[in-house]
Amino acid sequence: MLEILLIPLVITFLAPLMRPKLATAVSAISFLIPFVYTIYGLAENLVVKQPIIDIVKPIGEFYILGDQISFSFALAICLVSAMVALYSLPYMAHRFEEMGREFESEYRKYIFFYDLYATSMLWLVFSGNFIMLYIFLEISLLASFLLIYMYGYGDRRKVATLYFIWTHIAGMLALIGFLLVASTNGSLAFDSIAKIGFTAWLLIFLGMIIKLPGLGPHVWLPWAHAEAPTPVSALLSPLTVGLGAYVILRAYLISPWFIKKFMVPIFIYGVVSSIYAGFMVFRQNDYKRLLAFSTISQMGYCLIAFCLGTYGIMAVIIQYISHAFGKAILFMTAGGIIANYHGLRDITKMGGMHEYVPTISNAALLGFMNLGGILTVGMFGEFFILKGLVDTFGFDVSAILAVIFVFIISGLYSFYTFKRIYCGKPAGYEKVKVNRLLDTPLFVIGVISILFIFPPLAAILLNALKAGVAKILLLGGVAP
Amino acid sequence: MNWEIVLLFVAPVICSLPIAFFWVKEPGSERARKLPILSVFGLFISFLIAIHILLTYPNGTYTIPWLPDYNLNFVFIFDYLSKYMGALTAFIAFMIGLYGLEYMKHDYRLGWYWFFFNMFTASMLLVVYSDNLLMLLIGWEGLGLASWGLIGHWFRDDDEIAYVGIVGRKVGPLKMYWPPSYGGWRAISTIRVGDMPMFFAVAAIYALTGNLNISQIHWGALFSKIGAVGTLFLMICFLMGPFTKSAQLPFSEWLMTAMTGPTTVSALLHSATMVAAGTYLFIRISWYIHPWALHSVPGVEMLYYFVLLLGLISALYGASVAIGCLERKVLLAASTMSSLGLMFGCAAASYWFGKLALIVAFWYLLTHAFAKATLFLVAGHLIHATHDRFCCGDLNLAKKMKTAFVATIIATIALGGLPPLTAYWVKAGMDGIMHHLVEMVGSLPLDLLILTSLLYSAFLAKFLSLNFWKGDKYHLHLHGEKLMPFAYACVVSMVFLLLYRIVTGTDPLVERHLLEFGLEKGSLIVGLGVTATYLFALVVPRIKALSPIGTFLGDRMYLPALNDFIVPSIGWAISKLIEYTHRAIDWFCHFGLPEFMLSVSKRIRSIQVGYLRVYMKIALAFVMAVIVVSMLGWL
Repeated sequence: MLEILLIPLVITFLAPLMRPKLATAVSAISFLIPFVYTIYGLAENLVVKQPIIDIVKPIGEFYILGDQISFSFALAICLVSAMVALYSLPYMAHRFEEMGREFESEYRKYIFFYDLYATSMLWLVFSGNFIMLYIFLEISLLASFLLIYMYGYGDRRKVATLYFIWTHIAGMLALIGFLLVASTNGSLAFDSIAKIGFTAWLLIFLGMIIKLPGLGPHVWLPWAHAEAPTPVSALLSPLTVGLGAYVILRAYLISPWFIKKFMVPIFIYGVVSSIYAGFMVFRQNDYKRLLAFSTISQMGYCLIAFCLGTYGIMAVIIQYISHAFGKAILFMTAGGIIANYHGLRDITKMGGMHEYVPTISNAALLGFMNLGGILTVGMFGEFFILKGLVDTFGFDVSAILAVIFVFIISGLYSFYTFKRIYCGKPAGYEKVKVNRLLDTPLFVIGVISILFIFPPLAAILLNALKAGVAKILLLGGVAP
Repeated sequence: MNWEIVLLFVAPVICSLPIAFFWVKEPGSERARKLPILSVFGLFISFLIAIHILLTYPNGTYTIPWLPDYNLNFVFIFDYLSKYMGALTAFIAFMIGLYGLEYMKHDYRLGWYWFFFNMFTASMLLVVYSDNLLMLLIGWEGLGLASWGLIGHWFRDDDEIAYVGIVGRKVGPLKMYWPPSYGGWRAISTIRVGDMPMFFAVAAIYALTGNLNISQIHWGALFSKIGAVGTLFLMICFLMGPFTKSAQLPFSEWLMTAMTGPTTVSALLHSATMVAAGTYLFIRISWYIHPWALHSVPGVEMLYYFVLLLGLISALYGASVAIGCLERKVLLAASTMSSLGLMFGCAAASYWFGKLALIVAFWYLLTHAFAKATLFLVAGHLIHATHDRFCCGDLNLAKKMKTAFVATIIATIALGGLPPLTAYWVKAGMDGIMHHLVEMVGSLPLDLLILTSLLYSAFLAKFLSLNFWKGDKYHLHLHGEKLMPFAYACVVSMVFLLLYRIVTGTDPLVERHLLEFGLEKGSLIVGLGVTATYLFALVVPRIKALSPIGTFLGDRMYLPALNDFIVPSIGWAISKLIEYTHRAIDWFCHFGLPEFMLSVSKRIRSIQVGYLRVYMKIALAFVMAVIVVSMLGWL
């Protein structure tokens, strides 16, 4: 297990020494190997615990924890990271040219931070200790901050700082929460925490609400996700923000009382966040900013799902995967248009883009299907949310209608956006030949997301989730 | 058996992949234009398998493991309904596929077209044969997606022939014309509104019973458990799916603008897939709910009464709209809505009348599918030949397009309910059922049915008359089509097969029931009335004096306002409000707060200037403050 995780870490430091093409290929492979392993792990229902180092009280043991939940999150992280790595090559070539920088030397810097960013997220989901988790959270923040700072769009330095401050507040709040947990339990290893107290829970929750983000603290996200270089957006939005849900999920599995006690307000908060952001999507004219708002809306699903018992928890995980696939594809489509049409992001200047970039348009359809949960793995996410809803609230008409409305909104803005950008009278551009690396990775993700509703992949994922989540929750909420 | 079932759904999709990929690589090349034959071959495979299933498979279910841990599996059901419906779908799809080879020959986006066309068929077959509701939802979502893709097929919006409505016409704030991209959006948005409640209902059924196999769920026990209000809520949520897919009021608008798609798509959409899926599903679940045995369960009667009225009112609305329509395809679309309403109404009558009502509704579905597919295919041929969406043509045209002319005559008579062709017997069955209902629920259903039937035959005659006899002037461009007439000739001939089964009483479930209904006095009177209106409308297809009413009806009684004005206006108002809120938060966090902090910092820094007098002042102020506080304390 540890060896598998070391591969991307080692490659992170080796890749900058290679030529760009080789570095890209090697980085992609270094994420595909753990991807295959995660599927194997899910299929075999593996639960791995591998100690790394035992630190003094109250920090406790650092260990690698590979259970069904880690594997499910890692599945999305590995696939998306690998595909976006491939996509980076042509995209960053375009970006460096636009910025007037020399390609090869810049790319070495870029690929290092990119790999570091992705690897830290991968390690985060396999961390068996809150401090270890926090360290990787901050590494991923630093790496992504630098990527935005160096290669972002618009007022990139300001945006990067803004992103850094917000996420750092989130990290700090969580850290204080973790330390409080440490002071009462004497350890931060998942398996030796008995209970998380109120203040600690509140701080962790608030921190992760900023990261997730919920309504209110969400204001940083449209800036950061829209102005980051597109491959970074394609990691930030699909993977990083959802890790907020992962942290809450881990805390929940250890000590679920907080979410259970404040179930109704959190549920309402999730619904309001999701609907709020859903309506905002309709009014955006910047493709990437639009996608950023849709991320907020989708993360509202996770907040809703947290309140819905066992099936809700499974829905959180599926929703993370489905959103990761969908949003990665969509950000890459936005980037495809940017790279081919010299920074074209304004939707009012688009229309009938299917005429010019048919492959990208088709990929965008796959992305929007993922958001709407149509014929993709997201379908199970929605199904489990609805089942959890009935399990938890019974036939509470207002709760049911609210969730149905949330689902309707995401379907509507998906296809409305598709219509605005890709259908209608062609806007009068030249047809271009799209670099294969700018569209093929999108289809790989899209096809895999569809395969996940059919056997055998559907059975592998969902059976493992049932075994993992249900077992932990039935045992009274102690992580392995 | 295993591979055959899988192949039934997979073959069309797999066979359409070559063109889908190749078209991206070489759009419009000669080689790419040959590949659609392969797609049609895929449809042909499905057709053969469906026929094989119809003829040889025993009734029962067949399971392929999917998520056994959750008690969710791919369960295929082979019973009376699915066998007939599957064969019907596969046959019509194959025939339309053949027709499409010629009709879409010069299209600019064949990869997209064939992929979604075949996916459409495969999805419908999945809906037809599935017993598991979650698996059915895969097909259901596939139908929605494929219909969106096909309705908006001509995404460029550059050809007037693909629009619905008169381009440029406005009524108040409403634009009364719709381009293809808008048609697609309307379809998917309406369907989404129905699918999500349905999805909830499926999840709720799963949560309450732990089982999603339609034939295994104990519906009666489920309904008793959740009570009358629960039953109504659950089932209306569930039926929102069928209602939107089958375009019942007030969700009918998308179906009218679905005519922006290629005619082949309209033909498939309106006969055997998509819209039929809604009614089919309602018939299928009623088949296993056994509503006629649930008279003691509260809520069920109310539910079926609601569906009965909704169906019949939608039927009347659709028929009235069709009376006022002058566009070939929109007229047929409105008539489809009307037929679907009749199917819903008739199927809902099963609560009072028993299973035979479902069988009659199903037979109406079959008859309608063949006849409507024929009419659409003829309409497509006419549009091709005259380059006009609106009804036009005269006897000269009829002479030149004999097959189309004859097919239209047969289809209109067979569908309109003129004795002694197919729909007469089926509609006689409906008359009989509604007559039976008079004692239980009053005469309203019967009145609605008869009124709808009269209007129905009138606009079918109008369609025939305005296209082949008394229509406007036209320009004819025949291209020597062979496959197109062949396809609709084949499809229309199937109404005779149905007729044969009805008249001879050889069908195992229909037996001689329809024959008996048809020979009753009441049915004969209605049949004569229908014939009279048909003949009248044939001779007088347009009445000038009534044209204001015609415009009102043809504008669909201004129901488009709901989709195009009322709902969007509310949505935009909310989103505007939300945007202002967002801007306020954004301004506060990213401008207001930093600026405030900056100014505070500036103030504080201004103290640190190094002059002694400033520090003296501060010290003095402190002393003063201490004195004031201690004075207050002393007082």
